[in-house]
Amino acid sequence: MRVLLWILLAGLCLPTGLLAGKLEPFRDVPVPEQNPQTPAKIELGKKLFFDRRLSGDGTMNCGTCHDPEQGFSDGIDISLNYPTTRNWRNSPTLIGVAFQRSLFHDGRAASLEEQALFPMMSAFEMNQNLDFMEEEIRTVPEYVAEFTKVFGDGDVTRERVAMAIAAFERTLVSRDTPLDRFLSGDTKAFSPKALKGYELFIGKGKCTECHYGVSLADDRFHVLNVPENPEHLKDPRIAATRRFVAKISHFEEFRTLSEDPGRYLITKDQKDWKAFRTPTLREIAKTAPYMHNGIYATLDEVIEFFHAGGGKGNSALNALQLTSLEKEELRIFLEEGLTGAPIAFTPPKIP
Amino acid sequence: MAAGPTVKQIFQAYPNKIRLVVKNYPYKYRDFARIAAEASLAAKDQGKYWEMHDILITRSPKLDRASLIAYAGELGLDLKKFTESIDKGAHAKDIDTDLKLAESIDLYNTPTFYINGRQVVGDRPFEYFKKIIDEQLNKTQR
Repeated sequence: MRVLLWILLAGLCLPTGLLAGKLEPFRDVPVPEQNPQTPAKIELGKKLFFDRRLSGDGTMNCGTCHDPEQGFSDGIDISLNYPTTRNWRNSPTLIGVAFQRSLFHDGRAASLEEQALFPMMSAFEMNQNLDFMEEEIRTVPEYVAEFTKVFGDGDVTRERVAMAIAAFERTLVSRDTPLDRFLSGDTKAFSPKALKGYELFIGKGKCTECHYGVSLADDRFHVLNVPENPEHLKDPRIAATRRFVAKISHFEEFRTLSEDPGRYLITKDQKDWKAFRTPTLREIAKTAPYMHNGIYATLDEVIEFFHAGGGKGNSALNALQLTSLEKEELRIFLEEGLTGAPIAFTPPKIP
Repeated sequence: MAAGPTVKQIFQAYPNKIRLVVKNYPYKYRDFARIAAEASLAAKDQGKYWEMHDILITRSPKLDRASLIAYAGELGLDLKKFTESIDKGAHAKDIDTDLKLAESIDLYNTPTFYINGRQVVGDRPFEYFKKIIDEQLNKTQR
């Protein structure tokens, strides 16, 4: 009985927050059986990724918002947009995207193959009609030849376009970071300050409660109450985008919606109101600004947000009591420790 | 998009350091983009390019012919000259040359900036430009 009581007491003394996850060094990306990687498919996907035919007016390609020069994001608070419209969320990096179990800030796509078609159809992103896109690609003999080589016949379908793009995206990985080397046994992988930052990352900073595994993300959704950007709330074009997304997500009060409901639009579960997917932290130094709405321009601002215990009224985070030096060390770890070998990239020749 | 305020901020922050060359890229799927480009150049002929530019940005999408003439009136331009200029497309050649240049460098987004050759797509905050400009200035001063 006494033993049971001790176990019960020990259980009650556990922290109420999440438990820290285990960090893992880089390993090969998972590839779905139904879409194996081949060099020809990757090359085709790269061409399609950078082909403006995928947008309605021929001004946008996937690389417009996922620019190799900007960490496969676009360096702006909210993502670039179809002309005359405005987007409403930050462009997430594609680096390490193959490790994610769900895509988009709200997790509405379960695979890269499913994800790739959303922005093409989206009125405020590429605004393309997929039937039309298939016919446009089919008129290009070089593409028909490549589809034949990759898929066995020259039929251009949206599913195959998405498969090829997904294959290319699976090649975008962060590897050989100081963290990878450290986790593989190199005790000198970090600079002294980055090492201190690493210790904070796994300890006092509580970062590994959500940022763990290979991609430093838990593939879950959390309500941190990141502040809305007041500028965005005033822009009627962003209001139109917000209402449009809410409308097609069958959110009844879409016309009066004045904030981003996050994951709630997908699940309609109250616990998901303003919940967003935990992003990867790999190559984080290259992918500013941060958070789903790009409200923070620097890592210092992000660290300050977590230090203060997150946004007003959230119950997911507690204040961290970090000193100024600790905040600096944490930033140095994020910048140095999570930046790996440059991703080799040669722009494709679009047929 | 309206990058004008940012451009003005850049000029204030870097007096005598920046040279701005504006090229026209009237968006092909907008009814009044072309005539608005004509209007800006017609205003330039009368020394009021930036004044007209600012009006076009703030009053967009109301950029039909009658509105453009009204804006020219607000700026105190010679309306006869202005109207003749936009009606006959006096700057059609200049605009076409700009369009060809854009296509030759595979440029399709507005606004797009080139800072000493470094491409910046879209309207971005001042700090974004500042970082690149400072890098370029450091390079040239070395």
